[in-house]
Amino acid sequence: MKFRRFRAIARKEFIHIFRDPLSLGMAVAIPMLLLVLFGYALTLDVDNVGMIVWDQDETPTSRNFISRFGGSRYFNIRGYAQNYRDVVRALDTRNAMSALVIPRGFEGQIGAEQPASVQLFFDGTDANTATLALGYAEAVASEFSIEVLTRQLKMVDGRHMVLPLDVRPRVWFNAELESKNFIVPGLIAIIMMIISALLTSLTIAREWERGTMEQLISTPVKSSELILGKLLPYFAVGMFDVLLAVLMGEFLFNVPLRGSVVLLFIMAGIFIPGVLALGMLVSILTKSQLMASQMAMVLTFVPAMLLSGFVFPISNMPKVIQFVTYLIPARYYVAIQKGIYLKGIGLRYLAGDAILLVAFGMVIIFLAIIKFKKTLN
Amino acid sequence: MFERIRHMLVKEFIQILRDPRMRYFIFVPPIIQLFIFGYAATMDVRHIATAVYDLDNSVASRELVGRFVGSGYFDIFEHVDTNERATELMNRSLVRVILRFDAGFQSSLLAGQSAPVQLIVDGTDSNTAGVVLQYGTKIAQQFSKDRFTERLARTLGVTPASPGLTIQTRTWFNENLESRSFYIPGLIAIIVMLTTLTLTSMAVVREKEIGTMEQVMVTPIRPAEFILGKTVPSATIGIIDMIIIAVIAVLWFGIPIRGSYLLLLFATGLYLMTSLGFGLLISTACQTQQQALMITFFFFFPAVLLSGFMFPIQNMPRIVQWITCVNPLRYFMVIIRGIFLKGIGIDILWPQMLALFLIGVATLFLATKRLHKTLA
Amino acid sequence: MTAESVKNGKAVVVHNLERRFDGFVAVNRISFEVSAGEVFGFLGPNGAGKSTTIRMLCGILAPSGGQGTVAGLDIWTQAERIKYHIGYMSQKFSLYADLTVEENINFYSGIYRIEPSRKQERKEWVIEMAGLKEHRHSLTGTLSGGWKQRLALGCAILHEPPILFLDEPTSGVDPISRRRFWNLIYELSGKGVTVFVTTHYMDEAEYCDRIGLIYRGELIACSTPETLKKEYMPETVLDMQCDRPQEAMDLIEKLPAVREVALFGKGLHIVTEHSDEATAAIRSRLGAEGYHIEHIDVIVPSLEDVFVSLIETHDRMEKPLEEVKR
Repeated sequence: MKFRRFRAIARKEFIHIFRDPLSLGMAVAIPMLLLVLFGYALTLDVDNVGMIVWDQDETPTSRNFISRFGGSRYFNIRGYAQNYRDVVRALDTRNAMSALVIPRGFEGQIGAEQPASVQLFFDGTDANTATLALGYAEAVASEFSIEVLTRQLKMVDGRHMVLPLDVRPRVWFNAELESKNFIVPGLIAIIMMIISALLTSLTIAREWERGTMEQLISTPVKSSELILGKLLPYFAVGMFDVLLAVLMGEFLFNVPLRGSVVLLFIMAGIFIPGVLALGMLVSILTKSQLMASQMAMVLTFVPAMLLSGFVFPISNMPKVIQFVTYLIPARYYVAIQKGIYLKGIGLRYLAGDAILLVAFGMVIIFLAIIKFKKTLN
Repeated sequence: MFERIRHMLVKEFIQILRDPRMRYFIFVPPIIQLFIFGYAATMDVRHIATAVYDLDNSVASRELVGRFVGSGYFDIFEHVDTNERATELMNRSLVRVILRFDAGFQSSLLAGQSAPVQLIVDGTDSNTAGVVLQYGTKIAQQFSKDRFTERLARTLGVTPASPGLTIQTRTWFNENLESRSFYIPGLIAIIVMLTTLTLTSMAVVREKEIGTMEQVMVTPIRPAEFILGKTVPSATIGIIDMIIIAVIAVLWFGIPIRGSYLLLLFATGLYLMTSLGFGLLISTACQTQQQALMITFFFFFPAVLLSGFMFPIQNMPRIVQWITCVNPLRYFMVIIRGIFLKGIGIDILWPQMLALFLIGVATLFLATKRLHKTLA
Repeated sequence: MTAESVKNGKAVVVHNLERRFDGFVAVNRISFEVSAGEVFGFLGPNGAGKSTTIRMLCGILAPSGGQGTVAGLDIWTQAERIKYHIGYMSQKFSLYADLTVEENINFYSGIYRIEPSRKQERKEWVIEMAGLKEHRHSLTGTLSGGWKQRLALGCAILHEPPILFLDEPTSGVDPISRRRFWNLIYELSGKGVTVFVTTHYMDEAEYCDRIGLIYRGELIACSTPETLKKEYMPETVLDMQCDRPQEAMDLIEKLPAVREVALFGKGLHIVTEHSDEATAAIRSRLGAEGYHIEHIDVIVPSLEDVFVSLIETHDRMEKPLEEVKR
């Protein structure tokens, strides 16, 4: 491998990138857009779930119970129904996602120490929100229930009884339980896969389509010089995107970074070449830009979003799929990112994943170099 | 004129379908994506790896641990002896919960005092952390209530008649609260949009880039015919993709279609109009396929993220919610979920369909005007 | 990088070279040789196999059969080494449209690893040769055909290769640029560079030292232009000037002695196997209809005549074979 040829290729690719400000702008704008969206607009935290209430009892007790819901951050009372049809209508039109029905005689039953029950309806369409909202609702009801019990006891005995169990929940690593704290670090991984899919998957196919590749393969340039030379500029773009993302995370979104920044960049530097080379491999194999982009999307970006643990936790997936995720480099990088950001862990824990990423990168680059043939057909 | 359109259509279809790899990629990736999503995309929380740090090691503590296991949600990964080991397991993400009992747990319980138990949760994935906390707390509280009732019975010799308050919950539309039923219909919308967007935008630009655009301009073809020629093939592929995915969704994943098929097709048609309109609009803005791809994604990502597909719109800041009003995906998401899971009809869905129609017409009109300038 | 790498004074040697694409035979067992310093033209219609042949010789397309050497190196086993000793100009003169003239030159400079000491000199030489002094900072995509062509040539010879392969270098270029281009070729040839050119322009073929006529993958003739014109055509060509040539043509076509008639300029070219017989027949036929004939002369056939004749002969021989195959 000769340095001068490599340098000529790299220089040319840099020129291509900078002469196409639209694409370059997109390469920077898309990550920024995603970061802003995830940082500000998107959250998986469940708040203000719409609720419609049908209070058939209309007593102080029932109103007290209702206020537990309305007063919490999780629920937002959208209206009061007068009949069943109102409830159905509210849920159908998505005016409310949940409905609380309190039967007549609620207060009476509570006072008379008889079993009382209320009904909660949920629109299960959005399973995620529904599950969480259900949990909250049950928690609210549970608390109310215990209070009732305690009061009943007091009236019987006068003694103040304590609950047997003092449950102390503690949250490590993301005590604020803010989804953006775990999404932003993982997002950086996704961004890299996107850039790889979009940019590098086109570069070689484009030269074939335009005819310049035919010229190039008649020269002494080696496959390794071509691949690595083309990789270098995109690597620079990628690292710049990572820098941007880290800065935005730090100053714009206040995502806490508990680990070492240096380690963060080193890990990015290990992850990016493999992912870029994957895009390039697709370009080599398809020789058509349209096809390359379709294939690249399926191979890089879709698995990154779905199977890397970025949003959907891997441990929740069926075993078979979990097995598949071991083959996806983004999985390791997302774990590394989250680890460095939220847990503040270092190489001691991350070495294994890091080595795997290095191996992955080397294998893909090697494959790209071998698969690139300096002949037509 | 129809002759020309027909010829153009034939040429487009041939170009797209001639290459076997292209045929493969138009149909196979959507199906693969569907399967991956169908199985991987779940927020359901199960098999929560737990570390048990039991310094009390009593009947009571073991019973409580047993309840956790018995709930079916928690899997015990390891019984740890030291704080360091527990921390290490959390650091390595091998466990997500530490259940910690200090010495004296049982004795506190028996003495009628409040016995502390620590539920330490890995908050990294805050969403699942929230669910884990809820499950854990619920189990512990149930244990607490049971003990309480026992205590009462022992102390006072009475069993309180009322076990307090019970809640009956019923879930509509997606009774098992399966994430999959939520995501898959939405996925249809996304895949169809992605395919038609990229095909349309890149198809037009491809001609510009390779240079055949000039030849097209020299022929007597009219702009409308050109547009039809470019959009009909994409639209056809879009509909075929939709049907394939819907069939798989229903037959394999068991997602019900409770509403009208006809309405679904009609709504998809409206939706495709918007997709094609945007695709064409994008193609007028760039010279190379690479640019087309980049711009497409620049608009596609926010479209998906702000559609209510995964992130509830109601939780977004007000300004952003307003922005989603021009996102066709938002409306189609409601329509497709409504038809699949809720079985609602046009009487409820008409606002969304109207919105789609308006957006579609607007984008197609704009795109046609711009293309006019290029071609005429 | 000098002519000493050429074996026995032969720059290119090809024997029974063959290339198939899925059952279609693009190059059908052709054999020829090109001497060092020669300007060798490969002439033929589109789809005849010219580009395919040149690509095999440049090492960018693997042959299906046969043997060949370029600069003494085997095209099967030493294709990569060949690339050090050749310059190639592909049909699309593929330069990078979004790079400037200077950037394109610098790029190829780097690719061919031109010594730093010579780099500037070679660059200036190419710019001068191509006449691009004022355009060194222009984007290549904005240049017109003639300039692009010369720039592409320049980039192909930066490293002063002993052998040059040019695939349809003048297609789509104006006649003045074409002439200028061929002057450059002659200059290079004068310096001892072997130039292998493919073209479908008959007049350009005349500029070559030797021509290979290629049709449907077969080499149907290979010689100097002179020899081809004098010896390869079994028929004679008559040039006739008369009035109402169009109508005259209709009359003459039917004469048995006349093989073929075509309009040529203001008159007619007539192809015949028996020139005396034909001349007499024509004079009598036209004379009977009252045409005034200015002159009928035997002329040296143009290469186009030769080529057409050879092709037709080839087709006539091929036809029965084809039917047997089917």
